[in-house]
Amino acid sequence: MSLSTVNTSKVVKQQYILKLKANFDAFSSLVWIQLLAILFSLGGVASQGFQSDGMSVSIKYFSADMVIAFTMIWGLVTAITITTKPYRYYDFSFVTNRVTSSLSNILYLCTASVIGGVTAVMAKGLLIIIGYFFLDFQLLDYYSQPFHVRDFLIGNIATVLYIIFICSIGYFIGALAQISKLFIAVIPVLFVGSMLLDGMMGREPIAMKILSFYFQESSFSLFVVKTLISTVLFFAASISILNRMEVRK
Amino acid sequence: MKVIECSNLTKSYLRKKVLNQLTFSIEENTITGLIGKNGVGKTTLLKILAGYIKQTSGEINVFSEKPFNSLLVSANTIFVDDQMSFPSPLQLHEILQAAGSLYPNWDMTFANRLFHYFSFDPKHYHNRLSKGKTSTFNAIIGLASRAPLTIFDEPTTGMDAAARRDFYRALLKDYLTYPRTIIISSHHLEELENLLEDVLLIKDGNNHLHLPIEELKEQAIGLKGAEETILNWTKDREVYYKNQIGTNTLYAVVRNEFSEQELQLAKENEIEITSVSPSDLCVYLTGETKRGIDDVFIDR
Repeated sequence: MSLSTVNTSKVVKQQYILKLKANFDAFSSLVWIQLLAILFSLGGVASQGFQSDGMSVSIKYFSADMVIAFTMIWGLVTAITITTKPYRYYDFSFVTNRVTSSLSNILYLCTASVIGGVTAVMAKGLLIIIGYFFLDFQLLDYYSQPFHVRDFLIGNIATVLYIIFICSIGYFIGALAQISKLFIAVIPVLFVGSMLLDGMMGREPIAMKILSFYFQESSFSLFVVKTLISTVLFFAASISILNRMEVRK
Repeated sequence: MKVIECSNLTKSYLRKKVLNQLTFSIEENTITGLIGKNGVGKTTLLKILAGYIKQTSGEINVFSEKPFNSLLVSANTIFVDDQMSFPSPLQLHEILQAAGSLYPNWDMTFANRLFHYFSFDPKHYHNRLSKGKTSTFNAIIGLASRAPLTIFDEPTTGMDAAARRDFYRALLKDYLTYPRTIIISSHHLEELENLLEDVLLIKDGNNHLHLPIEELKEQAIGLKGAEETILNWTKDREVYYKNQIGTNTLYAVVRNEFSEQELQLAKENEIEITSVSPSDLCVYLTGETKRGIDDVFIDR
């Protein structure tokens, strides 16, 4: 029987299609997580009020940021999940090598991030609608309006990028955990420990510095470059770790 | 053409060597049985061939490529065992489609016919199948993928007698129409005898014997007779197995190097000559002791 040659991109594409179908459960959990976040957001994030001459005004601030935060956690968990043994082994029941397996995983995570990010941004609209119709909100300022094209686009792109970035960190953590289960304990300990240590020494926590490096960038294009480069580095590191992994040993 | 070439292959886990300097090669379009006791490294060898795991040292080439991380080897090889896993949300018919989308030689009609013959429900889930059904389903994937190198590791685990017979028959029929290189590891050599062309016998992680099954059938003969006569006859010969029957009768399995005259003479000395089945011979060849399990019960 003559040998069949296969090309990498075709295998990656087929694996990607398969993964969208096989990991569909992740999207139903996304829906629940976002609904939960919206429910929490309905309480408002801050409020203020004043009274004078028999008139009282109360202002409540609402934000859909929690939906985005929850979606990020969802992205982290999804990325870690697909590096675990059962998920990696599925590929090996069919045609694969370790690189195509990771590439299709990354494509899947990017798709998940786009879906998660866009729905998270649109959740703001849902929050406003629920508030307007059921909770008698009166919309006050510019930001309370559900739709501005430019903001909407930038908001979407930024959110999607954040989630992809978080996914790449999750994928990296997952890959490390495949080398040794020790990392599952070490990473949170390092993270929390460094914050505690910095807190005790009375200086700005290094974790906060890292976060603000990404999350408080005021220039959009710089932010895009920073995030994309970091994401690519995390994914590349994960691929090179997973590339040496034996399966089903 | 040699599909598999393997020299001095060693695989160790921690400090224990599972495969030790294993050297062999397998020709294209043959059916080879991989035989050996539990834990001698059969599965380890097959997983190295499939590119799942990496050898500690030595050379391995499958289709002239190193199998670990080779897309070519993966596309042309299928490894079937009872640990095969598929995404749990997929129904059985979706798994068949997935396999079809990835394996270049996949034959969907064949897969569906086998699927219906073994009366699977397309809407069922793989992780809910019984042990025998799981093996049967995996075997269908293995057959229908028509991979130029098809590896079955204990494919009949849990299958009932009818399913085992059907599987071997389907394998043989499909092999005749679409010749390919097949390796089967199994404990049921007696069931495989008519299927195999070659036998690779592994002992202590090493290639103990690699020869056509026809030669294995003639490799040894059994001699049964009075103890003294047998001991006399088997002196200076390679004895694979000895067993005392009653007080003064001995059964010995020896390498068949006797001439016609010698055999004639043996019969005159009231020695009963029997042939030894390959599966029995393999048990004797891989046995650690000459006596076997009975030793456990001596002097209790």
